Amino acid sequence: MSDKVNTAATEATKAPKESKAGESKSQEPTEGGALSNKELKELKKREKAAKRAAQKEAQGISPEQQQKLAEQKKEKNQERQMATNTNLRKKLDSSLIKDDNKKKIPAMFSHLETREQRNASSPSISHIVHPAILSLSLKISSYKIVGSIPRLTSMLEVFKTIIKDYKTPSNTSLQRHLTGHLSHQIEYLKSARPLSVSMGNAIRWLKQEISHIPLDLKELEAKTLLCEKIDDFIKEKIELSDRVIIENASKHITNGSTILTFGHSQVLEQLFKYCVTEQNKMFNLVIVDSRPLFEGKKLLRNLVDTHYMPGSEEVGSETTSEVSSISSRGPKPKPITQDFIKVHYVLINSLSSTILEDVDCVFLGAHAMLSNGRLYSRVGTGLIAMMCHNRNIPVLTCCESVKFSDKVQLDSVTNNELADSEDLLQNLNGKEAPKKKAVALEQFMKQFEHNEPQAPVKPTQKGKSQPKKITVGEEERDSKHESPLKDWKNIPNLNILNIMYDLTPPEYIKKVITELGALPPSSVPVILREYRST
Amino acid sequence: MVDNKQLKPEITALLNPVVDQLTRHQITGDKTIALEISHLLMRVISATRWSNPYDLVNTIRQVGVVLQAALPREFICGNIVRRVLSIIRVEIEENLELDPNSESNTMMSSIFSLLSTNNNTVKQESLIQSKKQSSDLRSIIIQGIRDLIDEIINVNEGLENMSADLIHDNEILLTPTPNSSTVLQFLIKARSKRKFTVLVTENYPNEIEQTHKFIKKLADNKIETILIPDTTTFAMMSRVGKVIVGSNTVFANGGCMSNSGVSNVVECAREHKTPVFAVAGLYKLSPLYPFNRNDLIKVGNSGKVLNYSDYELLENVDIITNPLNDYIPPENIDIYITNIGGFAPSFIYRIVLDNYKPEDNNLE
Repeated sequence: MSDKVNTAATEATKAPKESKAGESKSQEPTEGGALSNKELKELKKREKAAKRAAQKEAQGISPEQQQKLAEQKKEKNQERQMATNTNLRKKLDSSLIKDDNKKKIPAMFSHLETREQRNASSPSISHIVHPAILSLSLKISSYKIVGSIPRLTSMLEVFKTIIKDYKTPSNTSLQRHLTGHLSHQIEYLKSARPLSVSMGNAIRWLKQEISHIPLDLKELEAKTLLCEKIDDFIKEKIELSDRVIIENASKHITNGSTILTFGHSQVLEQLFKYCVTEQNKMFNLVIVDSRPLFEGKKLLRNLVDTHYMPGSEEVGSETTSEVSSISSRGPKPKPITQDFIKVHYVLINSLSSTILEDVDCVFLGAHAMLSNGRLYSRVGTGLIAMMCHNRNIPVLTCCESVKFSDKVQLDSVTNNELADSEDLLQNLNGKEAPKKKAVALEQFMKQFEHNEPQAPVKPTQKGKSQPKKITVGEEERDSKHESPLKDWKNIPNLNILNIMYDLTPPEYIKKVITELGALPPSSVPVILREYRST
Repeated sequence: MVDNKQLKPEITALLNPVVDQLTRHQITGDKTIALEISHLLMRVISATRWSNPYDLVNTIRQVGVVLQAALPREFICGNIVRRVLSIIRVEIEENLELDPNSESNTMMSSIFSLLSTNNNTVKQESLIQSKKQSSDLRSIIIQGIRDLIDEIINVNEGLENMSADLIHDNEILLTPTPNSSTVLQFLIKARSKRKFTVLVTENYPNEIEQTHKFIKKLADNKIETILIPDTTTFAMMSRVGKVIVGSNTVFANGGCMSNSGVSNVVECAREHKTPVFAVAGLYKLSPLYPFNRNDLIKVGNSGKVLNYSDYELLENVDIITNPLNDYIPPENIDIYITNIGGFAPSFIYRIVLDNYKPEDNNLE
C-alpha cells in the first residue's frame, strides 16, 4: 500500500524535477569554479593584509603584534566557518554535564550508560539544536511523553517542523546535508532518553527517504514531500495499524470477561475504549501498576476521561459542546468506567493467586519484539507473563510492526535502559509522578554554591521546603522517613537500580497481534524478513 | 474488653491490657508479640489456683481463644499458647508416668491413635493434686516458659551459625522481606565469613520505609546492597544465586505466610530454578494447616495503592486491594532454616509434632 502511495508521490514530483534538471547542471560548473575563486580570494586577502600591515606599521604597531592579531582573527573565522559534522558533534559534547563522581551503578550494570545530561541553555548548541527538539527532549526526559508510540509520533511531528524550518546551506544539497542536520538533532534527543526501537526504525526509514529524494527537486518541494511522507508513515504505520490490531484483539474481549493489563500502552487503551464505544461490551479490567512511573494510573485516567452513552453515536473525550447539547436533552454521558468497565486497580506486589484466579486473558503492551521472539517491554511485564502462564491464562501482546527489531537478546541485564535512581526515593506515598529536576538549574545552583558557599544557599533551600510545608503536612513526615537514604550516594556499599525494561521469553506469550495478523512470537523473524524485503 | 464468663476476674484483669494493645496494633513484630504473650502466660499461671492440673490447661486454652480473637490473622499468639500448653501437658504426663497405674500414651502421633480411645477425660477427673504438688508443677511450668522466652530472644543465634554453610563468596542474594530482623541478622552474621551482594526489593507500598532502613543497615555493615523495585525481580532473577525469605508463620504443610509480593518472587525463583530458603524461628511454626488460603490474607489501607486525593479516579474504580501478606505454597520453598537446623518443607509437620500437642490444635 505505502509503496504505491510513495511511488505516486514521487511520480507527481517528477514532472517539475525534470524541468529543473537543466538548472542544477548549470550550477555544477560554477561549483568547480568556486575552487579557483577561493584561490583568487586568498590572493586578494593577502594583498589587502599587506596593505593594512603597511598602514598599521605607519601607525606604530610592530609586525609581530600584527601577526598575532591576524592569527586570532583567523581562528575566530575558522570557528565560525567550520560547521563540519565533527565540529558540531564536539560542540554538542561540550554541553554535556559531567557529574562523574556521583554516578553509582551496580557492577552488574556498569556496562550500561547512564543518561547523558546536556545543558540546554548552553549557547554553544543553541544554533545547532532546533528549539522543538529541546522542548521534546525535556518532555521525554520528564516522562511527560512516555511509551514507545507516543514518543515516536511526537518525534516525527518535531522532525516535520525541523524540516520545514530547514534551509540548505549554500554549498551542499538537501539530500546530503539534511541527514547530518537531523543526526545532530537526534544526538541531542538521545540525551533525554535512549531512542526506542520504533524510533530507530523510523529514523532509518526517514534517512532512506531523504537519500531517495531526487537531486533536482527544489528545496521547498522536497521539504513538503518529506513532510507528506512522514504524515503517511504516521498514518499507515501507527494509526491504521492500530485500528487493524484493535479490531483483531477485540475478539478476545467478550462480555463479562475479566482482562488483566499492566501499565499503559497506547494501543491497549484504544482497544478498551473501542470495545465499549464501538461494541458496547461490558467487562472487568484489572489494571496492574508499579512504581515509579505509575503508568496504570495514566491508563485509568484516560479511561475515566472517555465519556460514552449507549444511545448517542458521538464519542468525545473533551468535546464540551456536544456534551452540553446532550445534557440538555437527556442524561449526561458517563465515564466508561462507570457502567462498562469495572476496574480493579492493584499494585504488582498483590498479584497473588486471589487476583489471578478469575482472569480470562492478559493483554500486554510492547516496547519491541526482538528477533528471537522475546518481548522487550516495561519492567514487570515478564513477571506478569510468567505468573499468568503458570496459571494457564492466555497472554496476548499487541505490537505494531514498527516495533519489530532484528536484534537478539537473551536476558534483561545485557541491554537495558537505566533510569534515574532518585525516582525510587521520591514520592513514597504515591501522590505524584516522579519529577525531573531541571539540569540547568541544578548546575546553576552548584555554581552559586561554589561562588558564595554560605549565605545565599540557605534561603533558596528554605524557599524550596516552605511551600511543601504549607500544602501538605505529610510531606514533612515523609522526608523524615526518607532520611536513612538521603545521601545514599555517599554510602559506599549502597546502590539503587532502576531499569526500565525486561525481557519476556517467547514461551509465556500465546499470541502477538500485529497489523499483519496474529502470530506466535516465533514468527517475528519471518515478519522482519518480509518487512525488510518490501 | 474480654467477656469470657469462664475466666476468673483476676485473669481477665491480666488479659485486658494486652488484648487491647494487640487489637490496637500497639504491639507489632512477631518477636515482640511472642515475648509479650509468653510473659502474659507466665503471669496467668502464677495467678491461677488449681487442684486438678487439667483446670490449668483449660484456663490457658480459654486465654488462647481470647488472644487469638484479638489478632485473628496472626498465628503467633496461638503458637505461643500451644507451646505453653504442650509444656504443661508434658509435665502432667510425666507425673502420670510416675504413677504406676496409668498407661503411657506415646502412640498419639501415629495413625493408630485415631482408633484408640482417648482416656484423658477419665484421667482428668481422677487427677487431684495436693497443694505441694501443684506448686511444684507451677514452678516447673514457669521454668519451661522461661526457657521458651530464652529461645525466642536468642532465636537468631541458632540461625546465624548456618549462614556460612549456605552462602558462598561473591554470591548474589535476593531478599523480598526487608522487614524481617531475622534476615537482617542472618546476613550481617554471614558477612563476617563471606563477601556477597544482596538485592532488596522495595515492597511498595506497605514496607517501603522499613526497606530503606534495612538497606541502610546492610550497607553500614559493609554488605554490597542494591535496592530494586518490585517489578525488577524477573529481570534480575537470572543473576541471583539464592533467595532469602523471612516468614511470619510456617504451617504444618510447609507453606508459610510472608509479605505481599513475596509469592511473586519465589514463583520467579522456581521458574529460574533458583533455590529459595526461608528463615523462621521455631516459635513461628504453627500446627495448623492452611485450608482456606484466601482467608489468611490481611488487607490494608487501600489509600496507599490509590491515594484518596485522586477522588476522580477513586470513584471510577470498582475495587482497590492492598493485601499485606501472601501465602507461599511449600513447593516454592526449598528449605527452612530454623534455630534448630534446616528442614525441607515436607518435614515441617514432624518438627511441629515435637513442639505441640495435637490435642491443642483447636483451642476452642
